[in-house]
Amino acid sequence: MQVFKIPNSIKKGSMYTFCSGCDHGIAVRLAAELIDELNLKEKTICTTSIGCSVFLYDFLDVDCIEAPHGRAMAEATGVKRARPDKFVFTYQGDGDFASIGLAESTHAALRGENLTGICINNTTYGMTGGQLGPTTILGQKTTTSPMGRFKETYGYPVKIAEHIALCEGTAYSARVALDTITHINEAKKALKKAYQVQLDGLGYGFVEILSTCPTNWKMTPEEAHERVRNELIPVFPLGVYKDITA
Amino acid sequence: MAHIVIDENRCKSCFICLSTCPKGLIKKSDKVSKLGDNLVEFVDNAGECVGCAMCAKRCPDMAIVEVHR
Repeated sequence: MQVFKIPNSIKKGSMYTFCSGCDHGIAVRLAAELIDELNLKEKTICTTSIGCSVFLYDFLDVDCIEAPHGRAMAEATGVKRARPDKFVFTYQGDGDFASIGLAESTHAALRGENLTGICINNTTYGMTGGQLGPTTILGQKTTTSPMGRFKETYGYPVKIAEHIALCEGTAYSARVALDTITHINEAKKALKKAYQVQLDGLGYGFVEILSTCPTNWKMTPEEAHERVRNELIPVFPLGVYKDITA
Repeated sequence: MAHIVIDENRCKSCFICLSTCPKGLIKKSDKVSKLGDNLVEFVDNAGECVGCAMCAKRCPDMAIVEVHR
């Protein structure tokens, strides 16, 4: 009996452009598996962002639109309002969602748009070379904060899942990780919930996924997972921050 | 018999599967990928694999394309 296969919503023969060991690949697979399981392939429109997720349309076998940097939620709002019968989700990095796109993301949640947002938080700008991002944790060294992030100079990191949970239009907001099998299974459950609130017309569903960036963290993939456990989860606690269906 | 299928074209040699398999059935191969790194191979002479699929779930590149139980 076959218990695992590549999801049908992944394009046949497509190859990820992510670096070796990057958790982005797991997040894309979970998103695709749920599109299959909920039978959404023919009614899904995905809005991709600028960053490491930029080539998502090369892997996902669903309709995709590329958004200007940070504007995925604004674009997705237009798509969903024009085609409310479609399942619309965005796939963004933390720089796209929580820095340049923070206004679009926040206001989509405040308006209670029937959308699903997936944000990959790897605490850095991965594609452009590991610069300090909105979620870079205090003390973390990056190419633009070589001495580490100091609160006096750079302020504090954004806690995205908590921030989105505070918006009244949000139906579901959670933070998950992908460092262990348990966390991967929990991530899939959270994503399913974020999909389901949109399908049920309840409002904005959001999942922040703590991910790794072995290349810019200058670690092996498993060392990067250790860092998620030891350094990131204490700063960004996992859990469900809002669920109006609970 | 439980087994996995590895697509060597997808593998980027991150070796997460090596530390994931509870039975240690995935090992570094002598074969080299087009990226220049060692590939991995599934070696299960004693039929120990139970098809738990943990390797496939943790593989970031979906290089473990099938798991059979």
